[in-house]
Amino acid sequence: MKLSGFSLSAVFVVTILNILLQNTQSITQRAGEQLLNLNATDGVANAVTTVVVYFRGFDTLGEIAVLFLASLGIGLMLHSNNRCTLKTESNFILQTASKLLFPIIMLFGVYIMVYGHLSPGGGFQGGVIIASAVLLLLISNKSFEVPHSLITIIETFAGVSYVLIGLIGLFVLDNFLGNFLPNDIANMGILLSGGIIPIIYILVGLKVGSEMSMMVQNLIYREDS
Amino acid sequence: MIVFLILILFIMIVVIALSAILQEKLIDSIVLFMGVGLVSVVLFFIFQAPDVALTEAVIGAGISSVIFLMALKHLGVQR
Repeated sequence: MKLSGFSLSAVFVVTILNILLQNTQSITQRAGEQLLNLNATDGVANAVTTVVVYFRGFDTLGEIAVLFLASLGIGLMLHSNNRCTLKTESNFILQTASKLLFPIIMLFGVYIMVYGHLSPGGGFQGGVIIASAVLLLLISNKSFEVPHSLITIIETFAGVSYVLIGLIGLFVLDNFLGNFLPNDIANMGILLSGGIIPIIYILVGLKVGSEMSMMVQNLIYREDS
Repeated sequence: MIVFLILILFIMIVVIALSAILQEKLIDSIVLFMGVGLVSVVLFFIFQAPDVALTEAVIGAGISSVIFLMALKHLGVQR
């Protein structure tokens, strides 16, 4: 068992070395240069966002549906009203550091979410960062609870708005998730550019953040057996 | 120069992953799994994929390890 593992990893390292020595020059430049040529099709500075939200917007809707189903399954299987009691009280350092760090992590998540069409990042990453801020509050503060009605409202609003924007694009431009708002290439790089793409990414971030927060809370709240 | 850095990172990934599956305690395996994620973040960044690097740092090394730790705590495996 161990011998086969070591030999497999040796083969892996030799293969990687072979690839690296064959084309040294082009391997770190190929993907980025080709992606940069896609920027001119839409007024979005980040080419990956153009691919994820504009060219493959329908796939992103499917990913959101998959994440919703995962969150629904965890909620159905693990939901419990009794919060499990931690064996040791959270100490002073954790309590103080969570008060200090929670606004900063939350602000960073919102920044990643809103600037997803200008810099690396986007809705998924920003939403998960917001969920990790909620996780920090959950493990440090015993009485903290994610407000369930607020989460329901945010998640429903985000999901319905995504489909509605797609349908408006279908009616206006004969294209589901068509970019019907002004997306001038001259405005590329400023915050209000790219038409519907930043709006859709903010909606994706809201939905992912609320779903992951509820998922983490359901995992923590499971009563001890 | 960059080739040697990439090679060192690849060898680090292989060594950390092998030591992760050879651990006795499961919690050590989870921590080393986070290490694999963190090294691959640097590797994704060198290959000009900062979006993938951010996703791996947040999801692969962050929230999935927390979910693994919670599952380990609920299972009560103490070996």
